[in-house]
Amino acid sequence: MSQRSLSRLQLHNLHLAQARRTVLEHLEGDFKPGAITALIGANGAGKSTLIQAIMGELRPISGEVVCTVAKERRAWLPQQLALDLTFPMSVEELVMTGSWPSHGALTGYCAAHYRKGREIMARLGISHLAHRPLGELSGGQRQRALIGRTLMQEAELLLLDEPFANVDSETVDILIRILRQMADDGATIIVVLHDMDHLRRLADEVLMLNGGHGRWVAPSALTHQHAPAQVVPFTMGGRHVGSA
Amino acid sequence: MLDLLNAWFVSPFDYGFMRRAVVGGLALSLAAPPLGVFLVLRGMSLIGDAMAHAILPGVALGFLLAGFSLPIMSIGGVLFGLMVALLAGAVSKMGGQREDAAMASFFIISLAAGVMLISLGGSSVDLTHVLFGSILAINSTALLLIAGISTLIVLILAVVFRALVVECLDPLFLRGQSRRSGWVHSVFLGLLVLNLTAGFQTLGTLMAVGLMMLPATSARFWSKRLEGLIGIAIVLAMVASTGGLLLSFHLDIPSGPSIILLAGFGYLFSALFGRYHSLAAKLRRKTTPLAA
Repeated sequence: MSQRSLSRLQLHNLHLAQARRTVLEHLEGDFKPGAITALIGANGAGKSTLIQAIMGELRPISGEVVCTVAKERRAWLPQQLALDLTFPMSVEELVMTGSWPSHGALTGYCAAHYRKGREIMARLGISHLAHRPLGELSGGQRQRALIGRTLMQEAELLLLDEPFANVDSETVDILIRILRQMADDGATIIVVLHDMDHLRRLADEVLMLNGGHGRWVAPSALTHQHAPAQVVPFTMGGRHVGSA
Repeated sequence: MLDLLNAWFVSPFDYGFMRRAVVGGLALSLAAPPLGVFLVLRGMSLIGDAMAHAILPGVALGFLLAGFSLPIMSIGGVLFGLMVALLAGAVSKMGGQREDAAMASFFIISLAAGVMLISLGGSSVDLTHVLFGSILAINSTALLLIAGISTLIVLILAVVFRALVVECLDPLFLRGQSRRSGWVHSVFLGLLVLNLTAGFQTLGTLMAVGLMMLPATSARFWSKRLEGLIGIAIVLAMVASTGGLLLSFHLDIPSGPSIILLAGFGYLFSALFGRYHSLAAKLRRKTTPLAA
């Protein structure tokens, strides 16, 4: 229990519902700084609902989400399709919007912000795309730009919804490396995953949602069952793993 | 040649009403197109139309109370427009209906109510004035009002610009950033109502939207950058409002429709020959395949 006081995000007997239908109940959770937690479960198991509740967008029926991270240091990377990709904004402009928490929405950027933005883009390998409009990027490049924004934001709590969907393998490698660095720097990261290979490479802990309940499992317990790294869609395998 | 230029472009402005009209048109052309650009980007292009209907009952009430007094009618329009926008938002939140459905309902009710009110208290000439505007009849008070409102809109837009951009792209990110992020949307709706109120004297409640939307939709064919979109839209609006006025002066045709039709011509031209997404751009791409 002594570790509990350290964690940034806790779920206490959480009961969540969408449109009066219970999605999750009796959910307990403890997300520590520096840990990457994979959130898995079949479609409709409540992953998005839980993320909404953690972000404060959905009020729990009962129980509570205790989060000590300031709201502007929480970042949510939605699924790619949620963003308007034709929006006339360049990569650099997108990354720079992450600096709001430190200087407000109404004042301009200063040289230090731009320097930091350029460093971040270099880390992500998208420097050459800085002035390219978002609409012209590939899925992987766009995902890197969005991660750039969360880096700019110095996010302490980062939630990612299937960040590796529609993304090339080079981007997957870069994102996994960057996420690990962020965790090592103390960020708490929760990531919705569908792919066993990604889970094996990334997750420290796994929260599995199934039948309205959450279960914490060790990543090794999951990956051993599917020993050779392979893609297992959880829409098929979730129930089997859950009852094991 | 010089005489011809003079006769076409300079001498019309010897008349005071033409000078006031062109200044009013230019002022509107500065404020309206940026709002239009944001509406287009948010996929809310039709909301402008709806809003224009919403201010009508307020304008009509002002007209009934104080006659054809622009300040009173404008205040009525702003108040009513804001009220309807808030109501529509509230209904959609309450009932889970989409906001555009609630707006569509409220706004058509407003249009009917406005037309009814004006018809009860005035003549069909008054109704035509309010619905279709009379840019040639702007007096100095009206001009000051239009210029003042346009200035205010540009200034507020400059302040909230970045928040507005992020709200367009990723509203959830904005909500994550600030508890008070709801104000961005409200401020934007407020600016919209203000702008339409300034526009109704010149172009009428029904056509004020034209100077806001047509330059913005045309600009999409010429630029992929936000600054470019806004700049091009403003230039297009200025050309349309000044050119439309001159056309209406020389050809003796109604001014409001001339301005909007000229802007509409700009839109069709852009759709055919613009740099991006236009018919010409599509043909160009076919003839020059990527070098492998």
